[in-house]
Amino acid sequence: MPGSGSRSGVSYDARGLVEPHAEMPDNIEVDGHRGRFDAADLTIRQINMALRQLIYNDGITDVTVLNPSSKHSLAVGILKRCRIHFEGSPGWFACGLIDGPEVTINGRVGWSVAENMMSGVVTIERGAGSLTGAAIRGGDLIVKGDAGARTGIDQKGGTIIVTGDVGINTGFMMQRGRQIICGNAGMNLGDSMYDGSIYVAGKVRSLGVDCVPGEWDDADTELIERKFRIHGLGDPPEFQKFVCGKQLHNYDALEPSERKLVIH
Amino acid sequence: MAGSASTGESSRETRTVAIDAEVLAGKRFAYQEDMSLVEDIDLLAATPGQDINWLEDITLLEEDGVPAVFDRYSNSFLKIYFDIPPGREDEIARKVLIRHLTDGNSYGITLKDIHCKFPQVELGPWVEDSPIVGTDWKRPVLEGWTAPAGH
Repeated sequence: MPGSGSRSGVSYDARGLVEPHAEMPDNIEVDGHRGRFDAADLTIRQINMALRQLIYNDGITDVTVLNPSSKHSLAVGILKRCRIHFEGSPGWFACGLIDGPEVTINGRVGWSVAENMMSGVVTIERGAGSLTGAAIRGGDLIVKGDAGARTGIDQKGGTIIVTGDVGINTGFMMQRGRQIICGNAGMNLGDSMYDGSIYVAGKVRSLGVDCVPGEWDDADTELIERKFRIHGLGDPPEFQKFVCGKQLHNYDALEPSERKLVIH
Repeated sequence: MAGSASTGESSRETRTVAIDAEVLAGKRFAYQEDMSLVEDIDLLAATPGQDINWLEDITLLEEDGVPAVFDRYSNSFLKIYFDIPPGREDEIARKVLIRHLTDGNSYGITLKDIHCKFPQVELGPWVEDSPIVGTDWKRPVLEGWTAPAGH
């Protein structure tokens, strides 16, 4: 993608985005519907260009990225069904804004993995930083380790599963969806949540404002057993369910109006 | 698409913008009225992973007193006019929504070809071999406008 302008020696494209090293990498190996490349010496831009080229243009449905080397914002905005494997650890904002991919990360991730995911499955074999699954709207996010503070903040749908512990303010302002936490939860769990369910198997340091124990039903059992089965997580432990107490927000007044766009 | 009404409490006009899928599209779709047109849809095949994934959050709602499913890709309600068998409310809502999306009738999809700045699949992840749009975005130019001096 050629640059269309230059300021201070840096090229910008027509959208005003800086495009350093905008050449496609030449180390991509393709075998049928599989692609593979080593990202060790590539820029973030090049890695994402290669992913888009393979998935959108070349009909590749299974891509392996070697040595992501903690680079940020990898595999962001992929809006197609495909499989992506990271052999190593991406940095911040990995797999944000995706809609459809099934991603495995054979390492750990930094802040905000799968932020705003619309659909898909992201599986992280080790730990995740703060803001894991921030504002996700759909899909499954599985962390096989601990996750940091504000896990699932502003969650609007989807399922977040953490096999270890989660940090403070997990589920802060959660609006919908499900969190399944197999370890302990830090302070202020579910603070100011609006809706959704949080399941915790370990200890909860403290509940946030308007987060209360919920009533367990058959649908909860079905959900937990199904998610553990399809993600190969073994037998689920005993969980306690937490929900919104619905005392903080004015539901009667908010519910009808939040669905309409009203211009004054 | 938009109606006007006085607030009754203020001289300022309040305008409510419709969020009805058929209003946005300008027509009603056959699958809103005929359940046989959605019965064969395979929800598992239409979604990533080994269960219905994002459709878990899609349930049958109600809009203007009519059963409806919310299309998050156009922020609109898609009303369902046929009788839904008891016990199948969410399943049918999901099937109607998937039919709406895979047919490319969601208003958000129709906007992609015009406004996408980045390459992406036109019909979303639900359709294999969907065309790619947004590969040749150009900055809109306002006819007759010239940049002020110094810009």
